[in-house]
Order: sequence, then C-alpha cells, then structure tokens
Amino acid sequence: MSEKSKNLAVGVVVAILAILLASLVISQPANDDRVQQIGASIKCPVCQGESIADSPASMAVDMMGLVEQRVDEGATNEEIIDELMGSFTGAVLLDPPVSGATLLLWIVPLLALILGVVAIAWWKTHPPEESGGDVPTPEHRSNRRLVGGLIVIGGLAIIIGVATLLIQDGTGATSGAAETGAEILAGNLDDVSNETMEAVIAANLDNAEIDGMRLALAERYFELGDYRSGFPHFLAVAQSPIATDDQATIALVRLGWMAYDGNGEVDTATELLDQALEISPDSPVALYVKGQVLWCGAGDTATASALFEEILTQVELPEDTRSRVQADLNLAGTGAACT
Amino acid sequence: MLGFLGTAGIVAGLIGYLLLVVRSIRVARTGNRKGSLAAPVQMILAGSVIAMVALVVALVTDDFSISYVANHHASTTPFPFNVASAWGALEGSIVLWGLVLSIFTWIVFRKYRQTPDSLGAGALAVMGIVGVFFFGLMVTVSNPFEVCVLAAERSCLTSSPWPFATVQAPIEGAGPNPLLQNHYMMAIHPPILYTGYVGLTVPFAYAISALALKVPGPEWIYRSHRSTLVAWSFLTAGIVLGGWWAYEVLSWGGYWAWDPVENASLMPWLVATAFLHSAIVQQRRNMLQAWNFILVISMFSLTILGTFLTRSGTINSVHSFTQSAIGPALLGFLVLVLVGSFSLFATRSHLVSSAPRMRSLVSREGAFLANNLILTLYAFVVLVGTTYPLFLEAFTGTQVGVGGPFYNRLALPLTFTLLLVMGIGPITPWGSAEPAMLWRRLRLPVVIALIAGVLVALFITRNGWVVLACVMGAFVVGTLAGLLIEQARARENRTDESLGRAVAHVVKGDKAFWAGQLSHVGVVVVAIGIAFASNLALHDVVVLEPGDSVSFAGFELIYESPFQIEEPQRTVRGARITVLREGDLVANMEPTANFYANDGAGIVTPAVLTRPRGDLYLSLRNFDSASITLALDTSPLVWLLWVGGLTAAAGGFLALGSRRTERKSANRRLTADV
Amino acid sequence: MNGRALKIGALTVAAAAIVFSVVLASRFGRDPGLVESPLLGQPAPMFELEMLDGSGTFDMADLNGSIVVINFFASWCLECRSEHADLVATSDAFADRNVRFVQIGYQENPTSTLAYLQDAGISQSTIYLQDEGSRAAIGYGVFGIPETFFIDESGTVVGKIIGEADALILGATIDSIIAGETPGQQKTGDTQQRPDS
Repeated sequence: MSEKSKNLAVGVVVAILAILLASLVISQPANDDRVQQIGASIKCPVCQGESIADSPASMAVDMMGLVEQRVDEGATNEEIIDELMGSFTGAVLLDPPVSGATLLLWIVPLLALILGVVAIAWWKTHPPEESGGDVPTPEHRSNRRLVGGLIVIGGLAIIIGVATLLIQDGTGATSGAAETGAEILAGNLDDVSNETMEAVIAANLDNAEIDGMRLALAERYFELGDYRSGFPHFLAVAQSPIATDDQATIALVRLGWMAYDGNGEVDTATELLDQALEISPDSPVALYVKGQVLWCGAGDTATASALFEEILTQVELPEDTRSRVQADLNLAGTGAACT
Repeated sequence: MLGFLGTAGIVAGLIGYLLLVVRSIRVARTGNRKGSLAAPVQMILAGSVIAMVALVVALVTDDFSISYVANHHASTTPFPFNVASAWGALEGSIVLWGLVLSIFTWIVFRKYRQTPDSLGAGALAVMGIVGVFFFGLMVTVSNPFEVCVLAAERSCLTSSPWPFATVQAPIEGAGPNPLLQNHYMMAIHPPILYTGYVGLTVPFAYAISALALKVPGPEWIYRSHRSTLVAWSFLTAGIVLGGWWAYEVLSWGGYWAWDPVENASLMPWLVATAFLHSAIVQQRRNMLQAWNFILVISMFSLTILGTFLTRSGTINSVHSFTQSAIGPALLGFLVLVLVGSFSLFATRSHLVSSAPRMRSLVSREGAFLANNLILTLYAFVVLVGTTYPLFLEAFTGTQVGVGGPFYNRLALPLTFTLLLVMGIGPITPWGSAEPAMLWRRLRLPVVIALIAGVLVALFITRNGWVVLACVMGAFVVGTLAGLLIEQARARENRTDESLGRAVAHVVKGDKAFWAGQLSHVGVVVVAIGIAFASNLALHDVVVLEPGDSVSFAGFELIYESPFQIEEPQRTVRGARITVLREGDLVANMEPTANFYANDGAGIVTPAVLTRPRGDLYLSLRNFDSASITLALDTSPLVWLLWVGGLTAAAGGFLALGSRRTERKSANRRLTADV
Repeated sequence: MNGRALKIGALTVAAAAIVFSVVLASRFGRDPGLVESPLLGQPAPMFELEMLDGSGTFDMADLNGSIVVINFFASWCLECRSEHADLVATSDAFADRNVRFVQIGYQENPTSTLAYLQDAGISQSTIYLQDEGSRAAIGYGVFGIPETFFIDESGTVVGKIIGEADALILGATIDSIIAGETPGQQKTGDTQQRPDS
C-alpha cells in the first residue's frame, strides 16, 4: 500500500471511530441531579473547602436537605444559591459566577493565556541585538547598584514587617475578646440601662467586684424614688465583705434614709446611719442624713444642729453642700420643724 | 536539659549559617578556597541534627518542661505519632524544615568540593541566607525549645526562651491535634513533602549564584536541573501521600479539595515540572536561558508563599497552623526573595537573553514550549484562585469563595491539552518536524486511542470525561510504545538482537528520557484514576440498626454490632460491618469515631476496602445506642492515583541515576550543532 | 527576548511582588474565618419551629413588634455554657421592656439540649426552640456557635455577636437598639462547630 492510500485508510478509520465515540458519549444522558450540582457549588460553612455535597458534617447534610426541599418546590438553581448566599455571604460559594466581583477571576487566566501566546510569538521572531552579549555597564557599578537595591529591599521588608505588626496591634482590640462586665464595672455607666445593669448583676452574683455597678444602679433607683428596686442592691453592697468603705457608707446612708422616708422607721434609720458613721466617722452625707432623720423624724433639733455644725467644721466641703447645711442649721437652730 | 541541648543546636545552626554566608561569599568573590567552608557546614549539620534529636527525645520521653511538648504531646500518644508530633505543629515543623535544609546544604557543599568553579560557593551563600532566615525564626519567634514557666493542668501557658529559667511543667500534655494522630501516614508524609519543598532551595541557590557571579552558562542549568529532579520527585511523592492521607483520614471520600494548603504544594510542583522540561531545552538547544531563571526563582518564591499561606493564619484551611508572629517574618522574606531575585535578574538581563531562536514551533522544543505555557498557566490559575479572595476583600471588602468547581473548570482543559502535548512531544524531533513524518508516527496511536475510547464507551461507561481520559491515556501510552518499538526495531535490524533485548538496550541507552516517560505514564494513570473516581463514584447514606443489612454497589452490608475500645490516648467507638458479595464474605469493616482527651469533638475514621475495581468506603455520620448513620461510597479505581503518582515520582528518581551521561551526550550534541 | 524587555519585565514583577505582599500583610491580625453577616440591615428570617420540650410549635413572626434576641446554642458548646447564665439574667432583666429572647438548639438532639438546659438554668421569659433540619441555623447563616442575633421592633436584623456574650454586652446591645441605633456585628471570641459522629 502506498503511503497516500495508507493515510487515507487511517483517515477514514479515525473519522468513523471519532463519530462513533462522539455519538456514544453524547447519547449519555447529562447529569441532571440538580441537588448534587447545587450542593457541589456550595461550601460547607463548618468545614474547610469541602462542598456540602461532599461533607459528612451534619450542618452540610441539613443544608443538602434544604436544597433538596427547595428543588422539589420548584426553585431554580440561582434562587437556591442566592438564598444561601443571603444567609452566609459569597464566602460559601465554591463556584464563583462569571460576573460581578468574580468576573476578573475568570478573565485573568484568559488574559494570561493570551499574553503567554503573544510573548512566545514575539520571542520567536525577535532575537536579541548582537550587542546584547556585551556588558554595557562597568562591573563595579552594576555591583554597587545591586547592593544598593538589596539594601532598599531589605528596608522595605523591614518596613512591611513593622507596619504589619502595627496593623496587628491596631486591629487586635476590635477582634480580641471584649471586656467582660466585671472589667468595666468601674467605668462609665451613663449609657447602660437599668435592665442591663440588673442583668449584669444577676449574671455576676458570684463576682464580688460587682458592688460598683450595684451601687450605681441602686442610686438610679433611689433618685427616681424607686426605693423598692434600689433596696436589695443597697443592702447587698452594705453587706458585701469587699465593698470599699465609701461604698458601704453610702449604701448604709441610703438604706437609712429609705427606712425613714419610706417606712418612717426612725430607730432603724438611726441605727443604720450610726453603722455608716462607724465606718466613716467624718462622712458629711452620713452626718447630714442622720441630722435630718433626727430633726424631721424625732424632732431632736439639738442633736441635729450639733451634727450640722460638725459637718461645717470640715474644711474640704463643696460650696453648695456647705450653704445647704448652713441653711438647715440656721433653721434647726430656731427650733423650727424640718421642711 | 533537652531544652538547653535543642537551643544550643539551633543557635549553633544559626551561627553556622552566618559563618557559611560570610565565608562562601568570600570564596565566591575571590575564588580563594583557603577559608574552609567545611567547619560551618559541619556546625550546621550537627546543630540541626541535635535540635531534631532533642525534640524527638523530648517527645518520646514526655519532657513536658518544654512548652512545645506540653502543648502538642501527651504521655499517652503512641508511636509513631509521638515522633510525628515533632513536625505536627508550627515550631516543630520549622525544625524539620531546618534539618532538611541543612542536609541539602551539606549535599551542595560536597558538590562544591568536587568542582573547581565558584558556582557552588555562591550557591552555598544563598543556602546560607535561607538557613539564616529559618534558624533565625527558630531562635526568635518560633522557638520550639522554650521551657514552660507557667503551666496549666494540661498545657503550658507561658514559656521562656531562656533554657535555665525556672521550670514549671504540667504533669500531662495537651496531646497532638487529633487529625494528625489518626493515621501512620502522618509520620511519613510531612518529611517527604518537606524534602521536596526545601529541595527547591538548591536550584534556586544555583540560579542566584549564576546570576550574581555572572556565569549564566550551562553549568548552573545542569546542577539546577538535577537538584530540581530530586526535589520534584520528593514533592510528587509528598503530594500523592498527602492526598492518600486525606482520603484515609478525612472521612469525606475525597483526596483533593483545592484547599489553600494543597494549592500551596501544587503551585511549586507545577512550576518545577515546567522547569524540568525547559531545562532540557536549554541543555539541548541553548534556548530559554532567561525563562529558566524566571522559572527557578518563581518555583522557590512559591514555596515560600506556600509556607506563608499555611503558617501565617491569613487563610483558613484544614491544615493551617495557628496565627503567629511568624507570618510577618515569612512575608518579609518572601518580599526579599522576590524583589532581590528579580532585581538581580534585571541587572543581569543582558547576560541571560540567549540568542538561539527556534526554527519551527512544530518541533520538540515547540512541544516543550507548549508544555511550559500550560504548566505555568496552570500554576497561575491556582495562584489566582487561592489569592483572589484575599485581594477582593482587601480592595472591596466583598467576600467570595473560590473552590473546586472553579479550579476543575480551568484545570480540565489545561490537563487534557497537557496530555495531548505529552503524547505528541516525545515523538517530535528536535529542530523542526516534517508534518508528514509526525503524522506517520501519530496515526497508529490515534487509532489505538479511539478504539480504546470506543471500547470504554461500549463496555464500561459513556461518561464523557472518563472516555476522554482513557482516549488521551491510550494516546500517550500508544505514542510511547510506538516510539520504543520503532527504536528497538531499528536496533534489532542493526544488531540482530531479540526485540526484548533491543527494547532493554534502547531504554538503557537513554535512561533519563525513558525515566521521564515513566513519569508521563504515571501522570496518565493518575488522570485516568481521577476521571474514574470523580465521575463514577456511587454514594449513599443509610441508617442501620444492629442486624440490618443494605445492598450497595453490588455489595451486601450487614451491621453486626457497635463496639467500643478504650485506648490510653483515646476512646474508639465503631460499628462492625460484614461485607458480602454474592453471598460470599468479602471483608469485615469497622468504621470508627475516635475521641481524644484534648478534643471532645471526636474524629471520624473511615473504613476502606480496596479492591481492584475500586474502593468501598464507609464512614460514620452518626452514632447512637440504637442506630448508626453510615455514608457509603465507592471510589472506582482510586488506587490508580496512588500507583500513578508514586510511579511519576519513581520516574524522577530513576532519571537521577543517569543525568550525568545525558549531560555528556548533550554537550556533544550542543557542540555538534554549533 | 532582548535584555531591556527582560529588565523591565523583571522590575515589574519585583514591584508587583511588593504590592502583593502589602495586600497579604493587610490580612494580619484578621480572623480569616470572620464573615460579615449579610443579614444585617435585612428583614429577619422568621421560622415556625417546634418548642424544645416538644409542647407545640412557635412562630417567630409572632414576636413582631418586639426586640428579639436569637441565640443559637448547644450543650456540646463550651462557650455557650459559659454565657448561659448571662443570657438568662438578661432575658429576665429585659422581660418588661418588650424584649424577647429566643434560644434555638443547634445541631443537637432536643432531648440532650433540654437535659442540659434544665441543669444550666431556664429563664421564664425566654422561648426555647429546636431546629429540625437546621432550617433556622441555615437561614441565619450560622458558621459556629454561639452566635446571637438582634432584631429590632421593625423586624430588621440590626446586630450580631459571634462568640461568647455576657450580660453587659447583651444588655448594652439591647440598650442601643432601644435607643434606635444599629449595633452591627461584633466578635467576642471563638465559636465551636459540632463534633461529628
């Protein structure tokens, strides 16, 4: 057989085989298991890299169940994927769409291919100039340039290193663990609601450092005249073994005032105020409230006046307190009933 | 004591590498070999070995005074996982890295002593710089020998790099990551992979040395080619074993998930594969010199990038280590490598632009060029896919995922084109090929391939991908067989040998070439294995109570009973399953869930029954007293992956045995061409 | 390729490497797994779920007009255990302020969840639900627990806490919602994923 007829024969055989093969493959029904298709393009959110179709994690199994249900309900692939992206973001997408933010992802490899082909074509037809083999610059110069370049690079590397460390420090605060309730007890509580404080206190009953917040909350109730809500907190602070003297004093003073003002119990009030004065003998608040209770509750103007005078002997007294005590002292000194 | 020894080891390594850099730069600059490099190299080697041994001994002897041991080991961890813990976590993995680097440095040093030129000295300087970096890491931010100064119950809270600090050791350690103590492969896969990874430092070192010393002649390409071959073979084996490990351990029946860490090992592999081919072009035709430098630099940069991605905590991945200060250091080093190498390359560009151009694209060198284009494009696709989400989020704040479907869609056409070139390339002559002659060599393989395809379609499956993979596979093997027989016939006619002997002689005569073709066959086998396993797998999930049976893929599975085994380090709960085929007992399989002390979650370990036609793969999805939920999978011909992958690696090792002879003949040919 | 083209190309690569590295560097200190919930600012998905104790179903849409705090939890989740008391306390404290807490069991057999709850404490004002087939967890895009979502009176998701919360954070978040602010997403710590098997 001549080479030509051999080629012809092979050509015919190849053509027949190719057509036969193509028809065999094409006649194979396409994989239309939509549940698997969708599942394969969604990343299992609790795994690493596996699709929900592949992953044995129960969350993935449940997600496949949802996909199956939605397919049965007649939802399209896009609808189902969009629904899942609506809950989990594009981060769970394994198959980025050829559009929007991921269009570039598909274009870049194509561009690289074109660039590669163009570069090869250009390379093949452009041999270097004959002078290319010479050394155009004196050796020492290029060496020096090299060293200089390396120094610049080293510097850059260090700058990047330092910068990244700084970035790390900057973001550490936001991504790190937030402050716990106890940690900010001593902080500014103005923006914190009563309910929040109640919750924090309730959740931190075993945390002795809660007293500051308790007192702040109780003071709020006190100012609103809500003695019922404030009482348990003042009591807790007054009984707290680790409350500071100032905290215990103020708690006892408030309890004393509430006993008198709320229930009219002068004796209980006096007792509590005496306890406060035991802790802080010079506390102007304790002295003043005790005076008020004795004056208003028991009509004991003499003791009240004595207590008011004692306050006024203190040097570091705010001016408005001083004037108020002075006014009360003047009034009590005349034997008038309290107002 | 061990902490001190280990610290001494890494400090000695660091000093050794510093000395090596200084001395080898002097030797490279002056050509004066008087200042011996032997001492620093010995110091490096000794230091690395001491560090590794100290770490392993600390693990084996449960020395919890060392914080690494306290946090990554428990006294109940059995052999070989106690040893494997030495590279199971960040700090330890760098010690292994350092040891492998030191061994390669020693090999380069031996080579340096055998050759009179200063290329080796320059390469040692580059190895030295890399070594200084990694040992610097160990001494500073990633010290595995820090002693524990404040211990919790089962871990170390605060540690000190000062080996004489007052030690407070926990009584028991935390134990290794459960995933890493579930399969013996963990003990061998990382060292092999690291050998591949670190081995790529050597060709890089020669390339930089050649650029810096302005000797871009043939010598660097020979040495880089050979050392890449070593690294490539290990890397291939490492990647295959990694896939195998994932398949046997991760319980989802897959071996490759396009996970960033897997991608990190694939990228340098692809570029190294490209370089193995284009290096041949330079050796034979003196072309592509500049391109080869670019490939080698990229190859090494990608290993550092991969190390960064897996160890900096910037990418979520199943294998990634936790975030640490090592990230910025690795990134800085990556910048140094990339910018330094390419700037150096720029200053030498006039030296490396080689004059020869190819006469025709229809030629062996044309096929190599196509191969390089595809492989580098492949690596680029993987790089873009891995880093695109980072870029998008950095610039727009939008989060996207890039996963399997994206890579598969681009990898499939690339892979099939590659297989096509793989079939055509080896039978195409150098220079320029006569189309008629090419067709004469191709027509029989084409017919064979198509017949194979028709047979597969008729008798096995009509799945298009599987058929295409078989067609391409038959084509590649067919062309190779045709080439071998053609050459053997010629020899037979010439020498009157039997055909068998002639074939053996032909193969022996160009061992490097035929070893390369063995790797090609390995790749073909892998491609067919992937096509079968990923297109024809069956999958089902069943709920079984003891005594229940289920039919699946021709098997009858009977759930006999649950069982529980208490081992020191874990509790194993599993299900006994009897597998029958046509009434005959095939196997007893025991898929399990293992619960480790340091991890309440438990790790599911699948049971795998490997049979010639494919695996039966059982993994537990749910386990309670009444019933089990069992996932059933078949992975048809999945074993072809391991066989093919290891064949490809074996081809690389075999090619090593004969590189020198090829070099001589190549030299002859090159001079003859000129 | 001639020398100059190579030189320009190489220097371009070097420059690109620096840009590349800066982008990578911007990732330091960030949690790669942290995802900004796309639900923020969107109408909250509402589900009709079985009560945890099996005593009937509950339609979350019935809570329209209240501030709703939805917490996903399970007994196997250590962070959930340590935040539980705070959730109970906050639920109790805000019971009179038109704030309703809904705790949804995540990836767990309802019997186990219920047994755990009885041990850990129950708030009378919290609604405890089970999530058959994880429909709610999928709807809310739960990556790991604990995750807590905040829905304002108009039914819009306005806040999310990833990780363990405490009474102060919970309360402060609710306070700001009452004040008409949108607290947004906040990560307080690690989350856990279901141990499988």
